[in-house]
Amino acid sequence: MKHQKLLIYLTLSLILIIFLMADHSQAKDKIRIGNPIALSGINAPGAMMTQIRSYDMWVEDVNARGGIYVKDLGKKLPVEIIRYDDKSDIGTTVKLFEKLVLDEKVDFIFPPWGTASHFAIAPLTTKYKTPVLGPTCSSLKLKEMAHTIPYMFITLNQPWDHGGVIVDLCLEVGVKKAAVIHHTDLHGIEMATSIVPMLVGKGVDVLLYKSFPAGVKDLSPLLKEIKPLGVDALIASAYPPENFLMVEQMMTIGLNPKLFFSSVGIAYPSFRDKFGATAVEGILGTGCWNPKVSPAAKEWFDRYTKRWKVEPDRWGTAQSYATGQILEKAIEIAGTLEPTKVRDVIARETFDTILGRIKFENQFAKGWPGHVGQWQKGEFMVVDKATRQAAPVYPKPEWPKK
Amino acid sequence: MEGFNVITKRPFTVGAVLLILILLAIMPFYAKPYPVISLTNILMYIILTVSWVIFSGPTHYISLASAAFFGVGIYTSALLGKILPLPLIVVAGGFASFILALFIGLLTLRLRGMYFIIFTFSISELIRHFLLWWETNVEGTVGRWVVMVSHNTVYYIILIIFVMTMLIAYLMRQSRFGLALRCIGEQEEAAIHIGINATIVKSLTFAISATFMGASGAIMATRWTYIDPRIAFDPHLSFMPVLMAIFGGTVHFYGPLFGAAIFAYLEEILTTKFPYYYMLFFGAILIVVILFLPHGLFGLIQKRWKGGSE
Amino acid sequence: MKSTFLDSQQTPSFKKKRIFVFEAILNIVIAGLIMGGIYALIAVGLSLQYGVGRVLNISHGEFIMLGAFATWSLYTLLGVSPLLSLIICGPFLFLLGFLIHRTLFQYLRDKSESMGAFADSSLLASFGLLFIIQNIALLIWKADLRGYSYLNTPVSIFGAIFTANRIVALLFAVTISLAFYLFLTHTRMGKAIRASAEDPMTAQVMGVNIHRMLAICFGLGALMAGFAGPLISMMYEIQPTMGIEYTIIAIIVVVLGGLGSITGSLIGGFSLGLVGSIVTYFNPGLSLIAYYVIFILLLLIRPTGILGK
Repeated sequence: MKHQKLLIYLTLSLILIIFLMADHSQAKDKIRIGNPIALSGINAPGAMMTQIRSYDMWVEDVNARGGIYVKDLGKKLPVEIIRYDDKSDIGTTVKLFEKLVLDEKVDFIFPPWGTASHFAIAPLTTKYKTPVLGPTCSSLKLKEMAHTIPYMFITLNQPWDHGGVIVDLCLEVGVKKAAVIHHTDLHGIEMATSIVPMLVGKGVDVLLYKSFPAGVKDLSPLLKEIKPLGVDALIASAYPPENFLMVEQMMTIGLNPKLFFSSVGIAYPSFRDKFGATAVEGILGTGCWNPKVSPAAKEWFDRYTKRWKVEPDRWGTAQSYATGQILEKAIEIAGTLEPTKVRDVIARETFDTILGRIKFENQFAKGWPGHVGQWQKGEFMVVDKATRQAAPVYPKPEWPKK
Repeated sequence: MEGFNVITKRPFTVGAVLLILILLAIMPFYAKPYPVISLTNILMYIILTVSWVIFSGPTHYISLASAAFFGVGIYTSALLGKILPLPLIVVAGGFASFILALFIGLLTLRLRGMYFIIFTFSISELIRHFLLWWETNVEGTVGRWVVMVSHNTVYYIILIIFVMTMLIAYLMRQSRFGLALRCIGEQEEAAIHIGINATIVKSLTFAISATFMGASGAIMATRWTYIDPRIAFDPHLSFMPVLMAIFGGTVHFYGPLFGAAIFAYLEEILTTKFPYYYMLFFGAILIVVILFLPHGLFGLIQKRWKGGSE
Repeated sequence: MKSTFLDSQQTPSFKKKRIFVFEAILNIVIAGLIMGGIYALIAVGLSLQYGVGRVLNISHGEFIMLGAFATWSLYTLLGVSPLLSLIICGPFLFLLGFLIHRTLFQYLRDKSESMGAFADSSLLASFGLLFIIQNIALLIWKADLRGYSYLNTPVSIFGAIFTANRIVALLFAVTISLAFYLFLTHTRMGKAIRASAEDPMTAQVMGVNIHRMLAICFGLGALMAGFAGPLISMMYEIQPTMGIEYTIIAIIVVVLGGLGSITGSLIGGFSLGLVGSIVTYFNPGLSLIAYYVIFILLLLIRPTGILGK
């Protein structure tokens, strides 16, 4: 008994000692960027679509140019991403962030996917003074929180951006009656709670305002309830696969509102391809970026499509690449890898990116081509009043006959 | 008096344990920050597994409600974070879980075997979905924030909970209470016949095991800082303690402890060394371990030893 | 801040109201059967593996996922109809299940000195399987959400409108369930299976080759998954993590129907589907809560499930 226990205690102590002693210091010959992100679990599809491919392509592009020039060190340094799977679990995300910063001693961090994950790492960005550009974080709460997390920059457009635009659009085209539905996740709840009071305040009749569980498998009862109301607009704040299911069932039961807006996922090429460009004509969604916003955008679009054999989406994919461009420029301007200096550059400069000319105001990115897009002839066009590429199509055409 | 006997009869063991505890206690002073954080996580898994074994080990009632108790602790932290000082929050978390477990325990009197297992799982899921519905429709929001606490503080609190869990687990196992539990596990009807009040024994033990889960939930919430029902009541926290206990083996007292430690550590190493393949390796290791060591990692040692001594 | 359905100008006439109610009921029943059919299939699968083999196969959902993704690949790359995929995936997964049982679970069973020990070790092993299968799926198909359109045309059944693919899924699920039920009750093999589920010792004495029976039952469980996967992929978008959700539903239905009763799983599956459909009709936000509340209440009232012993 004694020997057995002794053996066990010794082994354990040995393990303890070994992993305490691990040292990761190396000569400065590259810029290391940690990326704790979902490679498995429920966040993985979003992460792949919106962030991972963009980050990897940015690294390839930067290294093809020889790296980023750091004045302090007098040379160009190539970039490397160290990516760990957070399994879509917040506890793991937080732990991996700290592992990358404390143990691997990375220079910068590319964030994980999703609003919840960004919230979880936000206090860490302040604690460890790590500037982070967040492409998949969207919440009303950010407005009040932002000043407490000075190292976190939000590049994604926010519920108040989309909400304001979609309400203005409704008024512009003459929507009188609307139905608003949303899924019971933070995104859905916040978007609906921004939009409904705005609509009602501007005299639109909201005849139905209901929620459904995330991951719902059948929306037809809800949709069948909406059909007889004869609303002009159906606003549905949801994620794929919910809105994919929604559109399919709307087609089946013949619910064809004159204006249909759903939020996340409409801008995905897979949405357009699943139903066909004709069927999605006129559908509105959160966005918005497309290859037509600038020659640089088109050039990048073609390169991305060739590299990954899939098109980037029309909302967040280009934006994530742009965060890489911003980081690159910020390091060059700051002349150093020192995070606080880089952070200050990000906060005050204007950056030319494939997304547009981006400047951060109070840590929120300004310069998006638009906040609401609409599928028109197979492309997702900016239809914001202020910055539109094309006039909104209203009413939305009838679903194609089968 | 049993405790005293232990110390005098096995001074070496007690000495080694004390040494390890001291090493752990002063770890933040000599180790780099990340190992402390990593150890905090591992200790959390150990606490969950060992507390789970306090009830489910001897009675063979496999509870899948661990996520509920942990989640209750998390929510206690989220709700009372700004009102109470940290130590009280941890105690409150433990207490809330205790009450919930007592309630569930009394509710499930007639259920056995698989029915008990799935019932506890359903309760956990029901709480999660109900809370989600409540937060959505009544509170109008879904997430909550918890004030961040220094990772050394979290480490010490987890260490304290860990020591208490191990202590209570050991005492219960050695005591007559533990004997009663094992009787209930072997032959519940007979146990009742000889006068054991199975209801009280089961419910109380269930509640005690939940307490530590709740307390650790309350402190871990301060690390995660953002929580919502999906995060707090994640079902995988119900499955993990079961798997870690089987992995380590429930024959010995320390089986679950080392099972959880090795399981958690393995997971950490594999996810960071092989981000795209770790599930493959991990699954393979689980299968290999159970094929060659059907009693878990530490079940075999006893068998070997027994064979050698006879 | 919730507003309620505002019933605007129209007040339906009495006749309209009656049609409306009839249509509503039809909608609820058909939607319930669609969902219930899938639930019944996956529950019967798990029931075979657990009821006879005593393996709580936590990786059951991963087999379903494999079936779904194989169907997706076959359809998008080779244009093979999902209905044809049923005949491909089913038997293939049966074989996979049979082999896995013959090698892994049989070995564990032989080495375990008690059913309790076997329950533990088989649980850990099936969990290991879950990880392995999911990783393989992630490597082959990547993490993206996948879907395809098949038989998307609307079909009207006395006024209740559904997409053809859902009605087809319903028909297949019901047919397979019925066929399997008849198989269980009217064939020798079927009776042998039921006997093995109820009392393996006696069955063995009666001449059943219990080792082969266990492997066959495990394989049949995988077969059910192999049928459910393609049907699910016809109706919904799929991703590699979809498995666990179906495993959990299968376990709940098996317990609901009563352990040891495969017919119970059939009934339980359709019942749960109908209940879900009814609740979804009135308030979709409460449907999951309803599942669990009903389940918990049932267990409190009848601790051995609907048809359990």
